[in-house]
Amino acid sequence: MTTAISFSLNCDCPARVVPGTVVRQRAERREAVLGDGTNWEELLARANRGDGAAFGRFLTAVTPSLRAVIRARGAALPPDQHEDILQEVLLAIHLKRQTWREGSPVRPWLYAVARYKVVDAFRRRGSAVHLPIADFEDVLPDEPPPAPLASRDTERMLCQIDARSAALVRAVAIEGQSAEAAGEGLGLSAGAARVALHRAMKRLSAIAVGMGK
Amino acid sequence: MTGSLTTDELISALSKSPPPPRFRADVAALAIAMAVLACVGMFWLVFGMRADLAGQLAVPMTVLKSLLPLSIGAMALWLAMSSARPEGRVLLWVLALPAGLALLLFGMRALSVPEGQLVRELVGQAAVPCLVSIPMLSVVPLAVGLWLLRRGAPTRPVVSGALVGLAVSAGSAAGYALHCSEDSPLFFVVWYGLAIAISTTAGALAGHRLLRW
Repeated sequence: MTTAISFSLNCDCPARVVPGTVVRQRAERREAVLGDGTNWEELLARANRGDGAAFGRFLTAVTPSLRAVIRARGAALPPDQHEDILQEVLLAIHLKRQTWREGSPVRPWLYAVARYKVVDAFRRRGSAVHLPIADFEDVLPDEPPPAPLASRDTERMLCQIDARSAALVRAVAIEGQSAEAAGEGLGLSAGAARVALHRAMKRLSAIAVGMGK
Repeated sequence: MTGSLTTDELISALSKSPPPPRFRADVAALAIAMAVLACVGMFWLVFGMRADLAGQLAVPMTVLKSLLPLSIGAMALWLAMSSARPEGRVLLWVLALPAGLALLLFGMRALSVPEGQLVRELVGQAAVPCLVSIPMLSVVPLAVGLWLLRRGAPTRPVVSGALVGLAVSAGSAAGYALHCSEDSPLFFVVWYGLAIAISTTAGALAGHRLLRW
């Protein structure tokens, strides 16, 4: 795209250099700027004109800032839901990317979209804020022994997730250990055990929904 | 929501998706204005304009009866379009100018009206047709406007919906005014205002349901 015309206009370039070299150096410098994530405008403009690779790079470039915003706001939610919210924001950026006006700065647009989706995501999860079951173990009465059929279902479901998660779920849900204690046996820190348990539960509930059909 | 997709997988999938249709605020505004004109035009065809229209166009108050709602409609349309972009500024206060002028006309007439005339001018002859016609004329343009705005990204769906409702009903009122032979501001500020408020509320309610994304 950068042509010999702009090369000849550039007065501070060395006098005796093969033009191609300069153009290539220039292109590399521009790549560096883009890789830095400082020129989001150009990436999104190219993306909106149909350049899928540019859109991929744009999303990759903005993801760290979005993740930071979500983490800062979402202390009340477990970290694995942060990634779900991030994905919702990325999806919205795709669906609404044509509402950004080429030639205007991307950041105000991007943060307005992200803000809207993040607020929306937290509000929707607000009615069902996740709390680890361990917080309630002193309050909740012991559950009655499960019906034989239900336990067979559980075993079938546990066979469909990975062994470590299954062991964790067995320890917590069936043998009644706390997530922390169960995680310790499996070499997980307390936080990691809670996250792993939550994820396993989510996968199990998806499997259960599938079995119920 | 997005299942077990990792964020990198999502980005790669999104970068392979074609860009969504562009949001063109100017095209949308024109389409909404055309929809209002079409509905008002049909109303004129069926119910006719007032018989003394040619002579009345020299009377400032009669002209203001159309011009005031027309200016409110144009402002609201512009505001609705800027509210369709996430980073857009919505300068709602500009609406205070025509609204203030309407109240001023109302107040001045209320102070100058002859004894015993006030209630008669306030109630008028055609309050019910006015209250029915303006909201009815607004239904189709409101639907068109909300449908077009769904392509935008309004971060305040209720405000955006209300602005579309205000734009189309004020436009309809400006057209209806050429049919209506009540020229006292005591009449038209109250009844046109009420009719416009009905459609604006409908727009806000519809926006709450239809403009979220």
